[in-house]
Amino acid sequence: MVLEMKGIKKSFGQLEVLRDISLQVSPGEVISIIGPSGSGKSTLLRCATFLERIDAGEISYLDVPAVTTNAQGTAEYVGNAELRKMKQNFGLVFQQFNLFPHYSVMKNITDAPLHVQKRSREEVFAEAEEILKKMDLTKRADAYPCQLSGGQQQRVAIARALALKPSILFFDEPTSALDPELTGEVLKVIRQLAEEKMTMVVVTHEMPFAKAVSNRVIFMDGGVIVEQGTPEQVFENPQQERTKQFLRNYQQ
Amino acid sequence: MNMKKTLCLVFALVMTLSLSACGGGSTTGGSASSSDAGNAKYVFLEEDLGVETYAIGFRLGDEELAKTVSGAVKALVLNGKFDEIAAKYPDIKDYLCLKAEDIDQSDIPAQGSGDSNYTFKHGFDLSYPPYSYLKEDGTVGGFDVEVCQAACEYLGWKYEAVPLNWEAKDMELNAGSCDCIWSGFTKEGREDKYTWGITYSNNTQGILVAADSGIKTLADLSGKVVGVQIDTSAAEMLEDSQADLAKTFSELKTYETYTVAYNDLKAGAIDAIAIDMTSGAYLIADES
Amino acid sequence: MSWATMLTTMGEGMLRTSAIFFLTVLFSMPLGMIVMLLRRSRFSVVRWIMKIYIAVMRGTPLMLQLLAWYFGPYYLFGMSIRGYRFTAIIIGFTMNYAAYFAEIYRGGIEAIPNGQYEAADVLGYNKVQTFFKIILPQVIKTILPAITNEVITLVKDTSLAFALAYNEMFALAKQIAASQTSFTPYVVAGVFYFIANYLVAFIMERIEKAFDYYQ
Repeated sequence: MVLEMKGIKKSFGQLEVLRDISLQVSPGEVISIIGPSGSGKSTLLRCATFLERIDAGEISYLDVPAVTTNAQGTAEYVGNAELRKMKQNFGLVFQQFNLFPHYSVMKNITDAPLHVQKRSREEVFAEAEEILKKMDLTKRADAYPCQLSGGQQQRVAIARALALKPSILFFDEPTSALDPELTGEVLKVIRQLAEEKMTMVVVTHEMPFAKAVSNRVIFMDGGVIVEQGTPEQVFENPQQERTKQFLRNYQQ
Repeated sequence: MNMKKTLCLVFALVMTLSLSACGGGSTTGGSASSSDAGNAKYVFLEEDLGVETYAIGFRLGDEELAKTVSGAVKALVLNGKFDEIAAKYPDIKDYLCLKAEDIDQSDIPAQGSGDSNYTFKHGFDLSYPPYSYLKEDGTVGGFDVEVCQAACEYLGWKYEAVPLNWEAKDMELNAGSCDCIWSGFTKEGREDKYTWGITYSNNTQGILVAADSGIKTLADLSGKVVGVQIDTSAAEMLEDSQADLAKTFSELKTYETYTVAYNDLKAGAIDAIAIDMTSGAYLIADES
Repeated sequence: MSWATMLTTMGEGMLRTSAIFFLTVLFSMPLGMIVMLLRRSRFSVVRWIMKIYIAVMRGTPLMLQLLAWYFGPYYLFGMSIRGYRFTAIIIGFTMNYAAYFAEIYRGGIEAIPNGQYEAADVLGYNKVQTFFKIILPQVIKTILPAITNEVITLVKDTSLAFALAYNEMFALAKQIAASQTSFTPYVVAGVFYFIANYLVAFIMERIEKAFDYYQ
């Protein structure tokens, strides 16, 4: 398993956002998570990437545990140094891109491999050029984020995540902040990564995209996984009433 | 580009202003000849506000030091040094009250009897001409400074000039930054706050007006604007013994320095200045 | 008094004024950084102490603070304050300006979107790297205009050193003006302050330009 999450619980004060969620991701799998806003799908990603601390449950990457539950039933994280090492297993693409505005495109992509992973300059730059080519951004290597369109910025953000060679890539509503005409170029890149068998978990509102690209679709509501299966099962033949209702509302 | 142009303009303006101000300040000959000769432009009213005496103020309880320094000043009067210095300051000469024939001969230390390692710290206001001020050549000078230096020389002490921020003079004295306040320092109203050394000047406080203003008596000041420098004897008198007079003014304006008040008088922004006669004479010297 | 003597005399004052200015900038900017970090400390006691410190520094006149720093040691502990005058001035200015700088830094830090921290965290940067590589350069860009304002104020505030009878340029201007019954020294002082502030604004503008390559 690339990622294994078991019995995840997370509350913000009185509000229970995740109630006992489990998720396994195998190598090469592309999973789409859909659901109404407030269903907890973004929080699930933020917990998986350690941006939020879970209250109870277990998280492990490549079968190495990062969070375990102790006898009292509360989550226990590994030490900070180990946790930072764990973060090299995954990449996260934000809804708002979160590029570093004072770094050029090239520096955004190469800085972490150089100064966090401490890899050699030649290797890092050669790879970065490769990735930029794949993202169709070769010509913008020296540009600054403010000079790019939203779609280009999001592709740089994907390139930045890929440059660390993660085993799994998370996307948190990667096209929600984009103008409709720009979503296509970002979805195209994700589709291309799927074809290359990149393991990915995508939180999205783009139903046609989820249907076309994923191996598995998860429908979340009220902090639980209501239903999951192949795109055909979930979209064509949903079993749960809430899923049907959500898809019906969505089509209208 | 725009910024540069503005800068040039402002700079030129400032330079013009400074040159004209310089002309007004230093070319005394020119301005005097243009005014009617013989008649001063600014005069003191014949009535005065009262007399104040200048003495040397020491920290309360420093009797010994006060006696020694006063004795040294007496010695300077007796050996003629005091008058020699006074001769350089014609504006204040008439108000000095130490005459060789009146000096009582007690408590006069012998010449060179002081500890040659001792440094006497003379505290004074550096903007109080002619008693203590920054001289033409940029050094510290004035009547009080010269007398104090001479007294130290007589005793064999080292002299140290300690210019004070006048508002903080008491804090400086009590904290030991200086050993005395000696700078046209008025005794009246402060009798209990210091241990006083020798009184060397009786200075009269007066009212300075433009000669053509029509103000002839203190009563004429009713409804007029009068300027005074903060913390001076004239200011204190107008709050205290002459408070009733001050009430008749339309306004009593307090200035940080007499220079600004004088410029206001020249410009007609105020009608009169309350000031001690010696400082006032010094102030209008450039106009007569 | 000739122009030459006046300018030489005031020139000495300008050197003293410049000494106050440069030493204050040198000490208060890093101290402000420390104050800001303590102000954002995890410990509420430390936060409160810094809050009170900043409130006092900003809420009382600088002239009063200078008097307190200079005379305080004598009146509180009976210590000799001989030769301590200039040190007291630098301490007074530094402590006061550090409080203002700390608040400017804090404003700059708080203006950085949380997403920048999260992106750095996910990419594996540690705390020190995140602060110095990602956050600080962006903070500097945002706070530069406020820093310029503060530095220009400092140039003019140097004249408050006269509260401790330190003969900086403006005090000398006052004294020459008194002995010469002339406004000229004030005009010279004005020109000096203007040129000094023009230089500050010019240099800061250059620095701001250097950060102009992104928005």
